[in-house]
Amino acid sequence: MAPGVERSFTAASTLEEALAARRQGAAVLAGGTWMMRDPRRGGQLPVAVVALHRIPALSKVEINADHVVIGAAVTHAVLVRVLHGVAGFEGLVAAAQGAANPGIRSVATVGGNLCALDFAAADLAPAFLVCEATVELQTFEGPKLLGISDFLEGRHRLLTEAIVTRIHLRRDLIASAHIRLPLRKAGDYPVAIVSLAVDKDKRCRIAVGSVEPVARRWTALEQAMAAGPASALDPERAAELALEHNDFQGRDGKEAEGWYRRQVLSPLVRRGVAALLKTEGLA
Amino acid sequence: MTVTFQLNGEDCRFHGDPMTPLVDILRQERFLTGTKAVCREGFCGACTVHVDDEAMPSCLKPVGLVQGCAVTTIEGLSSGNQALHPLQAAFEADDAVQCGMCFPGMVMSLSAFVRDNPHASRAEIKAAMVGNICRCTGYERIVDAVAVCLDQARKAGQLVEGINV
Repeated sequence: MAPGVERSFTAASTLEEALAARRQGAAVLAGGTWMMRDPRRGGQLPVAVVALHRIPALSKVEINADHVVIGAAVTHAVLVRVLHGVAGFEGLVAAAQGAANPGIRSVATVGGNLCALDFAAADLAPAFLVCEATVELQTFEGPKLLGISDFLEGRHRLLTEAIVTRIHLRRDLIASAHIRLPLRKAGDYPVAIVSLAVDKDKRCRIAVGSVEPVARRWTALEQAMAAGPASALDPERAAELALEHNDFQGRDGKEAEGWYRRQVLSPLVRRGVAALLKTEGLA
Repeated sequence: MTVTFQLNGEDCRFHGDPMTPLVDILRQERFLTGTKAVCREGFCGACTVHVDDEAMPSCLKPVGLVQGCAVTTIEGLSSGNQALHPLQAAFEADDAVQCGMCFPGMVMSLSAFVRDNPHASRAEIKAAMVGNICRCTGYERIVDAVAVCLDQARKAGQLVEGINV
């Protein structure tokens, strides 16, 4: 920031106030765990910031009979606490519980995890993909609902004029699992992430994070597993199909090269299916 | 911008850039140098403090977000004239402290953990420490001391949170 320039910091108490600040160019500040590292990456902190933590509606989780609504400012730690034991969300809980470390999880938010544009290893992205989550945005024109895949693909453009407010999940899963491969037990980003879920129609959903720049569904594997029902939930068979239908282009990064990220997917699928079979919904 | 918050039980007022990391204010303005600024990326845990009783890295906390909050640093856990926090006492008794660089953060992370998890297993203690790096690699003795602290509290029929913090 140029000398003599005073930073603008708005702690919005309403969404309208946040949008007004956003219209004037303020960057959205959630937990701060991504943005505060910008100076370490050679970047600068924004000159104008709008914080969302004082907007009560964004810090709530509603659990209803057929759906769940998660406020964008809910932290990973709170998400774990409130969804622990809720059938079908084992994978989402594991994603929030395994991300980073306890101190970060107390601060980092759901919205922040999905809106960190250059963060390929966000744990919640593949977990929400298999939930087929809907992202609620507040745009300058009004509220907007978008499927998680479309949101992740278009978020660079979308977030220039919108704030993520809530995530909507249907309760149509009977089981889910989340498998991540960090190089150490903790303290680094996972090389690859595989999220899996089985819905009430016994269809398997699979998503992959950290391998490509943006998390996505593994539709080729989902289709292959759907084609042979007997093999669908056999860990070894699923791993073979994963090898056969691996259509990922691994990204090179500090933690691992692209070929390695791609290579580990098959064993992660095997572990994921094994984890699914241990959940209450499928055991 | 002016930010006011409670720091170790006393009113604290900061005037300046609201995006200043809390750790810099603690160390440079309040001279509370027990909180260490090491990685500044939330990986090492040396800067851990409590904000409204939650353990979190102060390097990634812009001071603007602590407006109206209660911040506790390692200096606020026990003044030195009082009895140590039971976890600090257990670390001392077990001779778990080595160079001391990671220790304030280790105590702040684990004091919140033992308060919330009085029946934690050894595996759970280890999982709670993943965000605190000890370059002396003295992890096992730290885990031993935490286990002893919890065990003593259970035998005394007292939760750790009932003793201090």
